[in-house]
Amino acid sequence: MAGGDDLVRVAVDRELCIGGGICEMLEPEVFELDDDIVISSVISDGLLPRDRADVVVDRCPGRAISIVEGVS
Amino acid sequence: MAATSAAVVDTPNVTEPSLYLEGIPHDRFTQLRAIPGLAWHPYEDGGFWAVTRHAEVRYVSRTPEQFSSAIGHTNLWDLEADALEARRSLIDTDAPDHTRLRRLVAGAFTPKNIRRWEETVRAITIELLDEFAAQGGGDWVEMVAAPLPIQVILNMLGVPVEDADYLVELSNYLVEGTGDAQSIPPDAFGNTTELRLLPFNSPASHALFEYGEGMRQQRQDDPQDDLVSHLVQAESDDERMSRSEYRNMFHLLVFAGNETTRTAISHGALALAANPDEWQRVLDDPSMIESAAEEILRWATPVMHMRRTVTADTELAGTHIAKGDKVVMWYASANRDEAVFEDAFRFDVGRFDAGRPNSDHFAFGGGGPHLCLGAFLARLEVTVLLEEMAKRSICLEQTSEPVRARSNFVHGVLSVGMQLRTAQ
Ligand code: HEM
Ligand code: SF4
Repeated sequence: MAGGDDLVRVAVDRELCIGGGICEMLEPEVFELDDDIVISSVISDGLLPRDRADVVVDRCPGRAISIVEGVS
Repeated sequence: MAATSAAVVDTPNVTEPSLYLEGIPHDRFTQLRAIPGLAWHPYEDGGFWAVTRHAEVRYVSRTPEQFSSAIGHTNLWDLEADALEARRSLIDTDAPDHTRLRRLVAGAFTPKNIRRWEETVRAITIELLDEFAAQGGGDWVEMVAAPLPIQVILNMLGVPVEDADYLVELSNYLVEGTGDAQSIPPDAFGNTTELRLLPFNSPASHALFEYGEGMRQQRQDDPQDDLVSHLVQAESDDERMSRSEYRNMFHLLVFAGNETTRTAISHGALALAANPDEWQRVLDDPSMIESAAEEILRWATPVMHMRRTVTADTELAGTHIAKGDKVVMWYASANRDEAVFEDAFRFDVGRFDAGRPNSDHFAFGGGGPHLCLGAFLARLEVTVLLEEMAKRSICLEQTSEPVRARSNFVHGVLSVGMQLRTAQ
């Protein structure tokens, strides 16, 4: 059974990102908005516990964030 | 639509503007939420699908490829094609235009960058509150709720202080244009454009366009560290923004945050005055301020709906909807949906977890790409206001009935008397 603490990997679709920075606010270790092009990208290994990943996916207004793979 | 014709008969009317003089007709929305599927609501010569439950508002908002913002209009009525083109702003676009335009301004409004305006917001708030206290109270809308947001946005745009009064005046005329009474003639401010081609059918829009054009020329020669200079830079590169997009963006930025934030602050005052025990909870534990601000936004729902247009035949909530149909997301209803908000008709300052910054209420829209650009700015303004009131142990007491806007779109309060009482 997959639990909420299991690590998953997240990614940003740069076409869809509208640059609101909600991801960066919620998970500053994982996402960063580029100030010039105003597009978010993953700055870490992209790993987050599943329940936190679900929250950013849910809150991203551009529907630009997805869980690309489960780890462990 | 045939299968749902039974519902047509029973659909309670929620668009009659005069209903809103008494407040949001919540009993009617509660009825609508209980109708299975979507309710067809007659409007003018046609009608729209009323989306009133939280789950479906969210779905429509987050499925822009099926529910377009660029077709027809995002208000209840359609605009003629030439008027829509002339008036089209960020709000009335779909990707990829929306993404391109939104990114031009998004950077200034991220949670991180909005925090840089905190001291400005606080200074303006303190000045307004002190003046309100010195006068022993008065019209809360005129003295606090209206000036706070407009002064903040003019600061961000870089409008010189000496012009602020003029832009406030224009903004007030635009507010009139959202209702059905205009107090200025069509040729006011030297306007020669047909009114239907101007946002809010208002000659004040012409004046605002002219002002934006003047600023554009100035900032082109002498760029500053402000939002207009940033836009002008993008406009000089036609790929990024056209001249028409620039002027509609300038107009939107001046206007979008004003009536909305003033409405939130007005209903916030009403709710706190009507629920002194809830405000006392905040005074006793200021860590609740963030949650209280979210509850005020949910409670107020300043923008009561937005419309989308269906791009291809599909189904929503088990109801068949056809290409070209209008779909209206009633945020005012979703924000009272008992399926999501326990005891939804109770004003509860502790409803939202502290520190959960992007809550489940739909005051800023249903969470799709058009999610309010100014959401974190508006939150900052409401939060700082509550902080400064709490610091002074200020309690509000209502001294007159609110005069409400005759509008099914903005939950506006035109005036309401308040006085200050210091907590025991
Ligand atoms: C309490 C105050 C406010 C409320 C309740 C509010 C509400 C809304 C709503 C409901 C939408 C449409 C969302 C959708 O269709 O999904 C919106 C869009 C927008 N708001 Fe706000 N707003 C507020 C303050 C502001 C402020 C301060 C600004 C400052 C510039 C602003 C600028 C905008 C803009 C530019 C859009 C269009 C975004 C887009 O289409 O991409 N708003 N707002
Ligand atoms: S929350 Fe989504 S749309 Fe916003 S910056 Fe992050 S990835 Fe982009």
